Amino acid sequence: MKKNISLKVNGKQYSLEVDAKDMLLHVIREKIGLTGTKEGCGTGECGACTVLLDGTPVNSCLYLAIRADGKEILTIEGLGTPAHLHPLQQAFIDNAGVQCGFCAPGMLLSAKALLDKNPNPTEHEIRVGIAGNICRCSGYVKIVKSVKQAAAELQQPEHEGSYK
Amino acid sequence: MLLNTFEYLKPTNLSNALEVLDDLKDKNMQVLAGGTDLIPWMRARVKEVDHLVDLADAGLNHIVFDHDQARIGATVTFAEIFADPEVRLKLPAIAEAAGVVGAVQTRNLATLGGNLCSAIPSSDGAPALLVLGASLRLQSKNNDRLVPIEQFFLGPRRTVLQPGEVLTEIVVPLREDFTASFLRQGRRKALTLSIVNSAAGFAMDGQKISEARIALGAVAPIPLRATKAEQFLLGKKITSELFAEAAAVAATEISPISDLRASADYRRKISMVLVRRALENALARQKPKADAQTVGGGVR
Repeated sequence: MKKNISLKVNGKQYSLEVDAKDMLLHVIREKIGLTGTKEGCGTGECGACTVLLDGTPVNSCLYLAIRADGKEILTIEGLGTPAHLHPLQQAFIDNAGVQCGFCAPGMLLSAKALLDKNPNPTEHEIRVGIAGNICRCSGYVKIVKSVKQAAAELQQPEHEGSYK
Repeated sequence: MLLNTFEYLKPTNLSNALEVLDDLKDKNMQVLAGGTDLIPWMRARVKEVDHLVDLADAGLNHIVFDHDQARIGATVTFAEIFADPEVRLKLPAIAEAAGVVGAVQTRNLATLGGNLCSAIPSSDGAPALLVLGASLRLQSKNNDRLVPIEQFFLGPRRTVLQPGEVLTEIVVPLREDFTASFLRQGRRKALTLSIVNSAAGFAMDGQKISEARIALGAVAPIPLRATKAEQFLLGKKITSELFAEAAAVAATEISPISDLRASADYRRKISMVLVRRALENALARQKPKADAQTVGGGVR
């Protein structure tokens, strides 16, 4: 069964035909062409495919694209640009929070969703916030440090109202 | 990638959903709630469906607190339950379960109703509901029944749901005198099925336990109550050993298996720990005695 859906990805409106069996992950990667979102386990256990769906992190490998009709999606490509990195991205660079990089897109989006809801999280809250994202390089210490730095940076008055 | 396509239906209200389910009841159909269990099954081709009925817009996303009961719609997500201030205050055992299922991403999609209907032995949604005496409202085009949760599970992945019938809401009695708690043990703190999970709760009459319920998951084909341990607690005064003794009784009522997550022996030992701790946490939630005396003259 095919159906036309319209969805917003990183602020841009898309109208496309999807099959009922298509996963949001594959539509984002193959039809829209944004390959920053990764496929890891494909069963909702690793978080590499994390996107924000109406602001909340979900595993796009478990989400039928047809369900995304009318929804708003943020992928890693919408977080910052090479010229204007999101403070989270800058913090991951500063603290070597990225090793192989495969988990980073999902990790960053989970961290963004956390900081949107809880701008000043404790270390425990950060660890719970990113518990759905597995880093096989096991770089969690530096990732947690990166999220802490970004949280502090985002508290600065000059960022008031940006990065939401 | 999924192998076969299917018809996708998204009814926009409950009566429409019940019509659709009735029309498809003899077909190869499946109800979709959060999809965190069903979609991996479909992707692994364990399950192939011809019709998928998405309940996301069927109007089952309510959390309503009436005078003496709470009603949780079948498609309310674990994240929504965990974030609900009234659930956290009045039904903390349910909030505890909702806060530890999967991880953030899973909880944003997975629903309590779907968790129950998947009927896996390690369901984290079931034990607290068993202890709180919850009932499940099952509706079809021509029927509407309330089934106590004890009677809902038949075996792994099997429930009393009939073709064309769907779980619409979870009804939980509200009682101030009965306090409960939920705990789980997994191989990791997130994104893992429970090795054992347990909820326990009780009410007191003066110094003595007047009512007790204990439930365990992942230690039998279905989430079950440890009724001998419950009986053991009745009429007893709380001492430092009592909960450990009750937990030891509970461990005789389970039939755990050894699998990739844990051995049967480990499950039995962890069951004892979780039951004891759940009882201790439930005790911490009991209103101080002075309070009870003011309200009920000490014999409440």
